[in-house]
Amino acid sequence: MFLKGSPTERNKSDVKDLFVKVLLSEYFIVFFCLLIFVSLMPVTPHIASRANINNIMSNLWPLFIIAIGQTVVLIVAGIDLSQTSIIAITSVVGAAIMTSKADPTLFEKSPLWGWFLTESGGPLAGEPAAIYAAIFVMILIGVGIGCFNGFFIHKFKMPPFMVTLVSQMLFSALAIYLTKSENIIGLPKNFKAIGSGSIMKIIPYSMIFAIVVAVLAAILLNKTVLGKWLYLVGSNPKASAVIGVPTGKVIIFAYAFSGFCAAMGSVLLSARLIAGRPTLGQTMLMDVVGAAVIGGTSLFGGKGKVSWTLFGALFFVILANALNMMKLPFYVVDMAKGIVIIIAVAFDVLRIEIKRRTNVM
Amino acid sequence: MGENILALRNISKAFYGIKALSDVSIRVEKGEVLGIIGENGAGKSTLMNIVGGVLQPDSGDMLLYDQPYKPKNTMDANASKIAFIHQELNLCNNLTVAENIFLIDFPKINKIPYINKREMNRLAHEAIKAVGLQCPPDTLIEKLSQGERQLVEIAKAFSMDAQVIIFDEPTTSLTARETERLFKIIGDLKQKGRSIIYISHILSDIQKLTDRIVVLRDGNVTAEGTTSSFNIDSMIFNMIGRDMKHIYPERKNVVSDEKKVELVNITKKGIVSNINLHAHEGEVVGIFGLMGSGRTELMHIFFGLDSFESGEIKIKGKLKSKNTAVQSIKQGVAFVTENRREEGLMLEMTVLENLSFVAMPNLASRFLRFIDKSRIADKAAAISQRLRIKSGAIEKSAAKSLSGGNQQKVVIGKWLMTSPEIFIVDEPTRGIDVGAKFEVYSVINNLACDGAAVLVVSSEIEELMGICDRIYVMSRGEITGCVGQDEFDRETILRYAFGQCAFNKNASHESEVQQ
Amino acid sequence: MNNNNKANMSAFALKLLKNIPLLLFILVFVVFGLITPVFFEWDNIENILTSSSYIGIVAIGMTLVLLTGGIDLSVGSLMFLSASSAGLLIRNFGFPIWLAIVSAIVIGLLVGAFHAFCINKLKLVPFIVTLSTLVALKGLTLMLTKSVAVEWPSAITGMASRRLLGFIPLPVFIFIVIIILVQLMLKSTPLGRHIYAVGYNSEVAAKAGIDHIKIIAVVYILCSVLAAIGGIISVTQLGIVNAGYGEGEEFKAIAAAVLGGTSLSGGVGSVFPGVVIGTLLIQVVQAGLVYLQVDIYMQPIITAGIILLAILLDSLRTMLEKRLERRNITKSCE
Repeated sequence: MFLKGSPTERNKSDVKDLFVKVLLSEYFIVFFCLLIFVSLMPVTPHIASRANINNIMSNLWPLFIIAIGQTVVLIVAGIDLSQTSIIAITSVVGAAIMTSKADPTLFEKSPLWGWFLTESGGPLAGEPAAIYAAIFVMILIGVGIGCFNGFFIHKFKMPPFMVTLVSQMLFSALAIYLTKSENIIGLPKNFKAIGSGSIMKIIPYSMIFAIVVAVLAAILLNKTVLGKWLYLVGSNPKASAVIGVPTGKVIIFAYAFSGFCAAMGSVLLSARLIAGRPTLGQTMLMDVVGAAVIGGTSLFGGKGKVSWTLFGALFFVILANALNMMKLPFYVVDMAKGIVIIIAVAFDVLRIEIKRRTNVM
Repeated sequence: MGENILALRNISKAFYGIKALSDVSIRVEKGEVLGIIGENGAGKSTLMNIVGGVLQPDSGDMLLYDQPYKPKNTMDANASKIAFIHQELNLCNNLTVAENIFLIDFPKINKIPYINKREMNRLAHEAIKAVGLQCPPDTLIEKLSQGERQLVEIAKAFSMDAQVIIFDEPTTSLTARETERLFKIIGDLKQKGRSIIYISHILSDIQKLTDRIVVLRDGNVTAEGTTSSFNIDSMIFNMIGRDMKHIYPERKNVVSDEKKVELVNITKKGIVSNINLHAHEGEVVGIFGLMGSGRTELMHIFFGLDSFESGEIKIKGKLKSKNTAVQSIKQGVAFVTENRREEGLMLEMTVLENLSFVAMPNLASRFLRFIDKSRIADKAAAISQRLRIKSGAIEKSAAKSLSGGNQQKVVIGKWLMTSPEIFIVDEPTRGIDVGAKFEVYSVINNLACDGAAVLVVSSEIEELMGICDRIYVMSRGEITGCVGQDEFDRETILRYAFGQCAFNKNASHESEVQQ
Repeated sequence: MNNNNKANMSAFALKLLKNIPLLLFILVFVVFGLITPVFFEWDNIENILTSSSYIGIVAIGMTLVLLTGGIDLSVGSLMFLSASSAGLLIRNFGFPIWLAIVSAIVIGLLVGAFHAFCINKLKLVPFIVTLSTLVALKGLTLMLTKSVAVEWPSAITGMASRRLLGFIPLPVFIFIVIIILVQLMLKSTPLGRHIYAVGYNSEVAAKAGIDHIKIIAVVYILCSVLAAIGGIISVTQLGIVNAGYGEGEEFKAIAAAVLGGTSLSGGVGSVFPGVVIGTLLIQVVQAGLVYLQVDIYMQPIITAGIILLAILLDSLRTMLEKRLERRNITKSCE
């Protein structure tokens, strides 16, 4: 060993080994994130500041929650394009329930006006329980839309892409219709805390939300029969039916769970905005699907993990933040994002190829 | 003897360092049918893929009409008039017969890239007429039966004036009539001076059809000679490298009087009508029928993957309340499906995972149904030992890395995890080599010895006669006969299978009771 | 007897369902016409045809990609890019109109080639590649235009109102030409048949000797080129390219293709009547809702509802077809 080659040569092969090791690691994307982060530190030292890290984190949690839902749907070999519209409509309805004021000049023409939304706000305006009721209703709507998607996909064997695409159009149009494209403001102070508050100024509430959902999803996928069924249906629906898996129910569950996650994400996003916005989440689709896929979840079903999705979401958030830090205009951010994603996915393909070769050798 | 058309000299090929072929030399004469036999993994497919241009050899060369022949891809092979008809037919079902025949060489109008449809259909009509396919050339492939589709492939070979035609397991999805027709066409081709390379597991077909045989084992040629110099035993000997005294295991099961399963007048319009059958404890019951006779459909109905309109299913004397797969599993029925890769296994997942799926809900906690991983692992390890599944560590090796026989054992094993008492086994040895077949038969035999009732569906009569106590014969959705072990006879069974009823409908119950 | 009737009934239902987009189209058209007779006037029909032309052209490109089992989510952004860059070239660099249009088409070609490169050489999933370029191209365009709306010279907006043969608006004429060309290509050239073959199963196609890499490259390039053309044609009607332009057009194009019977898994679909009817259906619904003065916020909801209905009926057709095509085994059914 020690006699082999000069020290520099040995170093070289060590570096190469390390490189291959990192590339092959399940946590490759984490290393990739670190790389971006560290290489930007000299350029924009501000990136490592506490305020910025907080900022990164507060962007991370909602995206992570929503992407977990997407992951579960991808595992059953589906896709959920309607998550963005679920975010929008739950944001609007949740806000309408708990708002304590609504401007008649803005909302007069809204179909909610008069019976649901009045000048003194929503039906539960001022009630202490309003927040809980609103969150409950938001989740209910999310799960409901998820069931709607799952029902059509299972019952009529419609392609998931089309069903969720149509429900994306349908429910985002509905969200805009309900509010006549206006934001609903005047939400309770406590609701705001969910978005930006924290326990003892250390642990943000949004993080607690995210961790609860993530742990739930991880237990579901790894420890329960239902979780295994999700993977089974995703990798081979025919074989699953033979061994007695209720494939239809499993598919509907996956979409309902995705709706649930989108609604939870909507709670965080609306709380941060302190408003119900009918276009909330409209531009998130790319980040959500991207986070799941870059993490390693397959678009063809049967493969995916919560932890992977966390890394994927982290990647997106850090990327966006880094690009912002460089004081680039938002459109350059978009452009760079698109290109970096292609590079990251290309790396992933390379990784799998190397893995396949080294395994067979 | 005849002149050599094609000669392969010292062909070697390795995949990722593993030898698939070493120094293989064979020759093909003009106007002969050359049979190539060997177990799975012996290198038959690799060899033919090299001839067909799909793969390139690492070393060695090929001569076609004494000229060097080095195909880089399928098109090169086709240009040299060598056609390869794969086991899985290579047709686009969304295109017409004519389009498939001329897919890479469409007749055009004046060299502009505009397809001359009239000319194409005319040429295609000639080609399909030559192979006896009766359909307009603009029929979509998806409207044709498996046998007809194969004829399209042969017509394609015909239209390119192929001199050497390779058939890889052509009969696996053909009905008996279609097989007969195929053999006749192969005979015709031979008459016309074409050379045929015929690969098959069905040794009796090889014996009937070929002029010469090459036996491969582990990438080497172990025997070569005229067909008359071989008999089935010597073929098997050369294929597996040892004598095989018994193709079927010794029967030790005891059939009791208790009826484990009873199907009474099961009818589903257009699929099956008036099915009556039963199986006793410890009995292996065969269900024979030609392709398309409704045997698989009947098993799907029995297991609850499909509905029926009238009749009843009794399991251990109890009426099956809901006809669903879940209910069947609950009442102790297991279904080893015909299509191992598509309906039986999660190929990417590990052996352990594949073994665990059926039992998982039973071994889960009541509360929220958490999986008990250690209990499952213990049980799976025991099953894997009992069935002697050959694999790496079961928690690591993926199902797709196993041989066909071992994959089949995994499929059977996943059901054993719940200790069922009734087994439905559909085509258990399809695509499995001779050595592994014996093991699968032993597993079936042992299940019966342990008191299970086993229903075996198969299209190989010998196999059923070798392992069953009783055989039902199906034709066109009806049971046309039932033969006990002492009356087993190929002719009789085939006669029933071709639709000659053993009993008229009124007497059906009676004669069944009598046997 | 009873059986026969039943079989006939389902065969009839199948025939009906097979032509669902066409029937829905006629139904919607007639219903709108009966409510507001203006709807039947030539002006309105011309209007619908003109507004169909650009999305129809994009949908035709999308159909080519869908036929191979792929997808192109970037067409909306590409429309934005091509329309904006052509406008900028004319306004800021004094390009003649024809050269600007050619440049825009070349941009489309390059984007398509990039997609093909990523999918063929890097082996990336089309969904992710085109989702990334959806974002990237939009960013690029905003960078070029500095987020300011690009106005086109009036010469080009005049083109939309130019008539051929006295009554065919130029955009509609181009639409028809593209329909004919692509239809001929798909039905009667080796390339077209190979697109179907690759869409059915690329492995089978490759084994049969088709260069599937080339086919994939061709469809993505054609799709992008058609999207670029679609972008320019829509600008001849609008005269101005705003920052939000092109958003959601990809989904509209996919919806039009799927309504026209194109399968998302490849190998099934047609340009005529398929995509053309799909496009017209969407446009007629949208135009009709405007005529009926339906609440502007309500319109997209109804449009989405009708698309849902159409694809639902299409799935019912597929299910019924499967049931009918199940072969009969028993004698009694012959």
